[in-house]
Amino acid sequence: MRIFSTKKYALFIAALLLVNGWAQPGNAAPEKLVLTGASTIAPLAAEIARRFEAQHPGTRIDVQTGGSSRGINDTRNGTAGIGMVSRALKPAEQDLQAHTIALDGVGLILNASNPISGLSRQQVIDIYTGKIINWKTLGGRDAPITAINKAEGRSTLELFLGYLKLKNSDIRPHVIIGDNAQGIKTVAGNPNAIGYVSIGAAEYEARHGTPIKLLPLDGVAATVVNVRNGTFPLSRPLNLVTRAAPQGLARDFIAFARSEQVHDLVEAQYFVPVGFR
Amino acid sequence: MAEMVSMKSMRTPRDCFAKLAIYCAALLVCAAFAWILSDIARGGMAHLSLDFVIGSPRDAGRAGGIGSILVSTALVLAIALMAALPLGWTTAALLAEYVSAGSRFGGAVRYSLQVLAAVPSIVFGLFGNAFFSIYLGLGFSILSGGLTLACMLLPILVSTAESGLRAIPDAHRLSAAALGMSRTSTLFRLLLPIAAPSLAAGLLLGIGRAIAETAALLFTSGYVDRTPGSLLDSGRTLAVHIFDLSMNVPGGDAAAYASALVLIAALLLINMVAMRLATDWQRRKIMAENSNGYSNIDAPRA
Repeated sequence: MRIFSTKKYALFIAALLLVNGWAQPGNAAPEKLVLTGASTIAPLAAEIARRFEAQHPGTRIDVQTGGSSRGINDTRNGTAGIGMVSRALKPAEQDLQAHTIALDGVGLILNASNPISGLSRQQVIDIYTGKIINWKTLGGRDAPITAINKAEGRSTLELFLGYLKLKNSDIRPHVIIGDNAQGIKTVAGNPNAIGYVSIGAAEYEARHGTPIKLLPLDGVAATVVNVRNGTFPLSRPLNLVTRAAPQGLARDFIAFARSEQVHDLVEAQYFVPVGFR
Repeated sequence: MAEMVSMKSMRTPRDCFAKLAIYCAALLVCAAFAWILSDIARGGMAHLSLDFVIGSPRDAGRAGGIGSILVSTALVLAIALMAALPLGWTTAALLAEYVSAGSRFGGAVRYSLQVLAAVPSIVFGLFGNAFFSIYLGLGFSILSGGLTLACMLLPILVSTAESGLRAIPDAHRLSAAALGMSRTSTLFRLLLPIAAPSLAAGLLLGIGRAIAETAALLFTSGYVDRTPGSLLDSGRTLAVHIFDLSMNVPGGDAAAYASALVLIAALLLINMVAMRLATDWQRRKIMAENSNGYSNIDAPRA
């Protein structure tokens, strides 16, 4: 209670409040926009926001995270001006407007030491539904398969299930993960694991020596190039969503996020810019 | 005779084995710490520089530094401690000094603190988001993050301080009463200084928990990585930054390791400073007043 004396304590609080109150008018009550949603988009959105603020003094773009579902909720109830959703909107979400700022492909990854070089769609289904439990069945070594699935609510999970035409209850996963980087680390550390993650992130990690490899899907190599030209079957849009047609600052920000001015930022996060098809 | 026997039994093989096992366990604990520290140091040393510590993050944290994040972390921590310390230590003084150990009211307070201590941090996060951010309208801000953390720290601060106060022998209180000291001055001039080491220990545990918190802060103080201009701005803390870099940003590992290194260094520093402050304060309170002849009570030897 009295490591600082009471007087010093009161002075400290007073000083803090003073600094706080003094800082406010200096910013001249900036126009503020809050984004919440997909953790996949958050780092990109934060970078775009930084550049946008630099070009538009007097604006403040706050980027928060928490997942696509949260982005949808917060946009609906008005907590956030713009939601970030890392998938296409569902039929039940047509009350919102989506503005695609980038594309992302989802690819299957194996440990680099795994001799398997390609899987058919049916084989992937069999692995994830627990019908195939050993790599030997697929011509690999005699070792049990560790199937890695994403946690409920993740957009990559929904995209993956839509591609395989499965329900989440059909899947028999051994490991459930959250983010892309976690999936990559799990596969890199387990020679018998199979998982699915964002292609951009996986390509980057594979190039920098992480022992993973991307599998082709339906005969199309899992590369950023194939996501961009639209041939890769498992890709998703990264969307900014708004409740109605965006107005004012939100409109400016979305236009900026879709413009050529941020393509280098999109590529730096291993996503594919839109408008390049 | 009895002493001779116990001295002899010290050297039986079973005792040697027990001694060995105890040393091994202690070494294992040290080894775990050393392993973690060396792993983080190996991964982060190359990335660490003065520019990293004072710069602002760029490229989603892969490049640039963590200056703005350190500012946010310090502010969140300061808010949490300013809210929790007076409340927590006052409650501890009440529980230890003003209500009897078996009282109903004391029991109710203690019980609610135990429940609070067992609540997982994500629940605090959701509560903080619902109450401070939305209901009180603080939004994603340093203030709502700090106040959420304060709720988390209360049980730690209260229980350590209370046990510290309870460990003081009643002889001290009786002597103070016999000298005609009021209860308040007994508390401030005698009991709290004696309990200072356990207050400091609780403070350190609290700071450790606060500085390591991710789940509760993601939903309250938020994710924005610019330097906060006011307490109502959102600010990313160091733990949230490390979590984001390692889990969400491909290629963010080196920066995550370096940030973790800074976090550990900061914790060690805070530990040393807090311990120093506590012993200084204890000495000043008790020794100085002894020499002035205000009180004749010896400080207990630890």
